[in-house]
Amino acid sequence: MTATAAETARASQAGSMRRWRRSARKWLWPYLFVAPFVAVFVAFSVYPLVFTFRLSFTRWHGTGPAQWVGWDNYGYLLSNPAFWDSLQNSAVLWLLVIPAQMLLALAIALLLNNAALRLRNLYRVAIIVPFVTPLVAVAQIWIVLFDKDYGAINSALGLFGLPEVGWLVTSQWAKPTLALLFIWKTTGFIMIILLSGLQSIDPAYNDAAAIDGAGRLRQVTSITLPLIRRTLMFAVVMQTLAVFQMFTEPYVVTKGGPYSSTTTAGLYLYNHINRADLGTGSANSFLLVVIVMGLSLLFVRLLRPKD
Amino acid sequence: MTTITSAPGTRRAGSQLFLAVVTLAFLAPVAWAVISAFKPPTDIIQRPLDLFSAGFTLENYQHMFEDVPIGQGFLNTAIVLVCKGSITMIGAPLAAYGFAKYRFPGRNLIFAAVLVTLMLPVIVLIIPLLLEMKQLDWVNTYQALILPGSVDAFAIFWMRQVITAVPDEMLEAGRIDGCGEFGLFWRIVMPVIRPGLAGLGVLTIMNIYNDFVWPVVAASSTKMATLQVVLSTLAQNISGHRISADYATVTGELLAASSVALIPLLVLFIALQKHFINGILAGSVKG
Repeated sequence: MTATAAETARASQAGSMRRWRRSARKWLWPYLFVAPFVAVFVAFSVYPLVFTFRLSFTRWHGTGPAQWVGWDNYGYLLSNPAFWDSLQNSAVLWLLVIPAQMLLALAIALLLNNAALRLRNLYRVAIIVPFVTPLVAVAQIWIVLFDKDYGAINSALGLFGLPEVGWLVTSQWAKPTLALLFIWKTTGFIMIILLSGLQSIDPAYNDAAAIDGAGRLRQVTSITLPLIRRTLMFAVVMQTLAVFQMFTEPYVVTKGGPYSSTTTAGLYLYNHINRADLGTGSANSFLLVVIVMGLSLLFVRLLRPKD
Repeated sequence: MTTITSAPGTRRAGSQLFLAVVTLAFLAPVAWAVISAFKPPTDIIQRPLDLFSAGFTLENYQHMFEDVPIGQGFLNTAIVLVCKGSITMIGAPLAAYGFAKYRFPGRNLIFAAVLVTLMLPVIVLIIPLLLEMKQLDWVNTYQALILPGSVDAFAIFWMRQVITAVPDEMLEAGRIDGCGEFGLFWRIVMPVIRPGLAGLGVLTIMNIYNDFVWPVVAASSTKMATLQVVLSTLAQNISGHRISADYATVTGELLAASSVALIPLLVLFIALQKHFINGILAGSVKG
């Protein structure tokens, strides 16, 4: 009896030892699992962010000691017309892109949301093709297609007796041409997001409305749109962020010209790097973060269902 | 609006017409470039709409391979793709597994870091990251192209959702069978989430292959330029100061180079479209 009790005691002690060691290991494991992320995050996000924040209060051109200038960089940017012009260019691009793209993506998604539609899969794949193509490659194709003298677009206009357009060489057309590239490249992506929103709607709603005599258009405006409001809001926010960070399109296609008409907020920021004006560039980075995040919050508020 | 209120037959024809026009517009630029790259250079610029009656030539491809270091570009992209892609495909699910299946002090704080990284505009980090690369003497190196952003926050966010759906009983059963904590991840979780990993895989390939902003800043030397950076230097030859005598040749080369860059991804997309669409959709829930 006593022997067994001692044995049991020893066994349970060994058991708790094992359990203790396992829990010690268990305590450590999750930290090991997230360690690679934390290492990359600290090294390539936290450190540079702290660094750039300090830098934004200095004048520095990459060599020698940085000179502390307080809020001067911010003051310089906020009183510099070129900074405001870059924001205005981005805002105009936003106006050219967002409403047109949302309408187009919504129209396509509504049509593709019909399982009985013929060639549905073909359409769906074809419309996403631009999204998976490398932006630099298509930006280059844009340069050739929209060339004033030799481009296919002006040739096609010529067939209809329309005059040549200086797509990339005049300030009033350069922005629409870039907007067109952006719409072409990303509408498939937005369409897929809206389509997933549409597919989560119970068809019973539309059936009921149809029985009550609502036409197709009425069903879309009174049932579908309110139900995918969140998805739509999400798409608008995401595209707003993308438009205000737009960089590759103007960098490759127009280099920001003609006459800075396509120098977007993102490209303007990059230009500070080119001039090795790192203090101003850092301040510009933070202003852009504030603007971009502020805009997203604004849209989230505006599009939130009122109840 | 007539299509919406009129008879079903007309409405169907209207939908088909609309979708056909949109599809054509979405495919035309790519198709035009790929076909035109096989035309003689002078025909590309003088008769841009004439796609099939012009002569067939490989001249543009020949010139392009002679003038443009596109092979080096492909090689650099491939190296970055393999290294950075592997880190993402293992590091992200691993961290996601830690977040999804363990409770530990600091978890929420570290996960908040993931969310912050998600929301931060990429462009903000460009200047300080470049300076950091200069301090480390990493400008124009593979490390600079591979390491920043390699354990991708969005991938963690997505994989965490996928791994949360793996039943805990499955992990408990593995523990009873004597599986270690890492073994649980490697031998149970990874095989179970294979569909999610496939989606992440194609999206990762697409992002790394198409990445441009960081490579052009951090590694723009001829030796280190990735495919996209090589392509962008070609475009500058045209849009910068145009040499009119050479315009046709450069345009031909540019279309050939763009086609070569487009095709691998298009083939991949068509072969794996289901995973691509899943990946895009998962990407869309990150907000």
